Amino acid sequence: MTQHDSVTQPESVLERPEVSAPEPWSFPEAQRSELANGLGVVSYDIPGQYVISVCLAVPMPLECEPRDREGIATIMARTLDEGTALHSAEEFAELLERKGIALGAGVNDAGLIVNLDVSKRHLSEALDLLSQAVREPAFPANEVSRHVKSRLAEIDQERAVPGQRAAIEFVATYFDADERASRPTAGTKVTVSAITPQDLVAFHAANVVPSGATVVVAGDLSDLDIVSEMEQALGSWSGEAAEVGEPHEAVRAADAIRVVFLDRPGSVQTEFYIGCPGPDHHVQGGWAPFQVLGFVVGGSPNARVDAVLREEKGFTYGIRSGFRPRRRGGMFLTSGSVRADSTVEALGLLLDILDKAREGFTPEETQAGIDFIGKTAPGRYATADTVAEEAATLSLEGLTTEFTTENLHALLNVDAATLAVAYDRYVNGEWTVVVVGDASLYAEGVRALDRGELTVLPA
Amino acid sequence: MPLDYKIAERTLANGLRVIVSEDHSVPNVTVNLWVNVGSRHEAEGRTGFAHLFEHLMFQGSRNVASGEHFSALMAAGGRLNATTWFDRTNYFETVPRGAMDLALWMEADRHGRLLDAVNQENLDNQRDVVKEEKRQRYDNMPYGNALIDIYAAIFPKGHPYHHPTIGSMADLDAASVQDVHDFFRSHYGPNNTVLALVGDLTPDEGFAAAQLYFGPLPATASARREPVEPLPPLSEPVRDEQIEDVPSDHLYIAFRLPVDDTPEFFASSLALDAIGGLATSRLCQRLVRREQSATSVSAHAMGFVDGISLGFMMIDVAEGFSADTVEAAACEELVRFAEQGPTDIEMESAMAQSERSWLSSLASQEERADHICHFATLQGDSGYINTYLDRLAEVTPAQVQQAAAKWLMPQSRAVVAYLKQDGDTQ
Repeated sequence: MTQHDSVTQPESVLERPEVSAPEPWSFPEAQRSELANGLGVVSYDIPGQYVISVCLAVPMPLECEPRDREGIATIMARTLDEGTALHSAEEFAELLERKGIALGAGVNDAGLIVNLDVSKRHLSEALDLLSQAVREPAFPANEVSRHVKSRLAEIDQERAVPGQRAAIEFVATYFDADERASRPTAGTKVTVSAITPQDLVAFHAANVVPSGATVVVAGDLSDLDIVSEMEQALGSWSGEAAEVGEPHEAVRAADAIRVVFLDRPGSVQTEFYIGCPGPDHHVQGGWAPFQVLGFVVGGSPNARVDAVLREEKGFTYGIRSGFRPRRRGGMFLTSGSVRADSTVEALGLLLDILDKAREGFTPEETQAGIDFIGKTAPGRYATADTVAEEAATLSLEGLTTEFTTENLHALLNVDAATLAVAYDRYVNGEWTVVVVGDASLYAEGVRALDRGELTVLPA
Repeated sequence: MPLDYKIAERTLANGLRVIVSEDHSVPNVTVNLWVNVGSRHEAEGRTGFAHLFEHLMFQGSRNVASGEHFSALMAAGGRLNATTWFDRTNYFETVPRGAMDLALWMEADRHGRLLDAVNQENLDNQRDVVKEEKRQRYDNMPYGNALIDIYAAIFPKGHPYHHPTIGSMADLDAASVQDVHDFFRSHYGPNNTVLALVGDLTPDEGFAAAQLYFGPLPATASARREPVEPLPPLSEPVRDEQIEDVPSDHLYIAFRLPVDDTPEFFASSLALDAIGGLATSRLCQRLVRREQSATSVSAHAMGFVDGISLGFMMIDVAEGFSADTVEAAACEELVRFAEQGPTDIEMESAMAQSERSWLSSLASQEERADHICHFATLQGDSGYINTYLDRLAEVTPAQVQQAAAKWLMPQSRAVVAYLKQDGDTQ
């Protein structure tokens, strides 16, 4: 034992302060309208937010990508501003940067989102450039081939990063092979290599249309006429949406309940990616219990997972669990990495914790989860970018931020019994498990856990 | 562009500097503390200790149980964490106004009465957690140790920035409970700390609460040493090649830069933007768009206070191109920029992007509080957030050119190259 000097620290004289109830708060109020071309316009005036965030959300289920050109929506998103009818790629980049405009775009399973951040005084110029990128992209051959090559290099990078490698294998194992969801959103080497400028022109014309799309503007909008700004920038955008059927829930593979161990020799950590079905935002009985469950099971250092694997065992820097909604259906996912030589024990403990949660939750942990989700909302939605992103993402699911507000109210009706029912409704111990680590050392131990048929593959 | 975020400052008798920024837009308060200790203060053989210590600040103090800092504040609607960097350590939470007193009470307890709760068990546990953090973020990732290699290549052994904040496994293993006691006594205390309170409160309320909870703590931290002697730019290139199982060749081209918060640092930072940081930077135009010998180029300037700063560019070399050829092209552009100086459009773009990103970073109370503490702690100026853009705007093209000619020349570069094992270079 080491001897320490006697501690001469000051006495505490104050009792622990009580926490008083939070002030009432509500999600920023939306102003809604629609342009003649069918584009929805939603704005949120948030005083003091001097950088305006604009999010344009265009519904475009990934299933609309041709099977042999998967990744085309992503390549399109990345090349919208790489040359337009009026400007070359380099000119366009310069126009953006001289006004300090950040323009980006990406896709998820439900659609395309184009993001724009700009200081208030440059909003009109920024909207004009956004409009050009969305309405009149030129897809020059040189820029397209550059972005295709860049995506191919990115695929190699993703395979080398254990967490990303695990995620790719997870969807391939979890979803039926006929489902678009079983393959990477941004495409594979074969499908991305096949993408041509002509493909992009056709895909853009068919899918990037104003009808059904929503543009969200959030920030300090005082002295701005947003509808008129939008009419000027996007009023002449035209095109009719192709018929898109009702979104469907991607089917889980018949053999999804198993363990895939990707061999990454010499790994000093082992990555886990574990999942089972979960609901989407439209779930009967409401989304609120699932948000709380994410927090209680795996949302903090004191949540059930990390209370053991991090704070008691020291196996991990942190493992997170949560319900992840898709356009239809969803998943309950747990992921993170552990010290290599703890692989077998950690995986056994982790699955036991996830399974044992079906026995229920204490009133204390339930209340802590409700309070965390509810009382952090004012801070989580305090900035223009988070509000715009929330509204745009929800619009792709056919929802408005009324959903966010109602969900916060619904939290008040959640209790331990609600949580238990919600968890048990989806979590039944039928896990899809992906492990990325040194198979020569740990695959047999994982097999011996007997948590599903084990397949070992190269990473 | 004039900014007018409200700033009020007062120093308590024990030396704690308290800064209140009143903003009633959201019914929250951000509590943010910066302690003027970072990995630059670590002794040889104890690298990584400032960060390990930061973890122990969550394992309880005299009146707070282990883990309770997270659990009690999160259950009150708090979002919180802490980070450690070369120059400093920060602790922060954003809570509903009604939980501000609890947050301050808990912060005062761990910043003043930590050692009662430190023991071998929680040291061992957090040492394990930190080692997993290191493995997750550095050791098990492709290129994960690139920045660590840069620090070692560009700053001399024994220099405060030679070793990374995460430290080494051997030094983490060597850390003892006695080290925790010694570190706390040397570096923690109100006289080495800045507290910012940003949000739904008045300055008087903030000062009163700070006095109530922190006022009783004695000024225990030892005096800070003077900054170490400034370093000049490297006089000849340094090179560190790592042949590894990585998906593509990466080049990290690093430079020493002038100390932070000086016109010379701002000028060198703007130069780095124009050379490699902007989407329209010279290297992006040439290597990524035209020659397509790189899939991406980025550049960053990290301002430090101990006599020197760091700038670096990262180039992801495209399949089929040689890292040497790409590096030679980058060096040509460095020379050309130093000869020509920035164009008007480059100056305009670098300034415009700096302005938007600065305003974005001030958009949330959390980040605003962090900036306030940063500049109050390291530069002495609590009102810096309102004047930074004006100071940046004063930098002239001639200063940018001079900074590039002095600091960003090929002979002053340190290159860390991560090269693919099978080496398909031409």
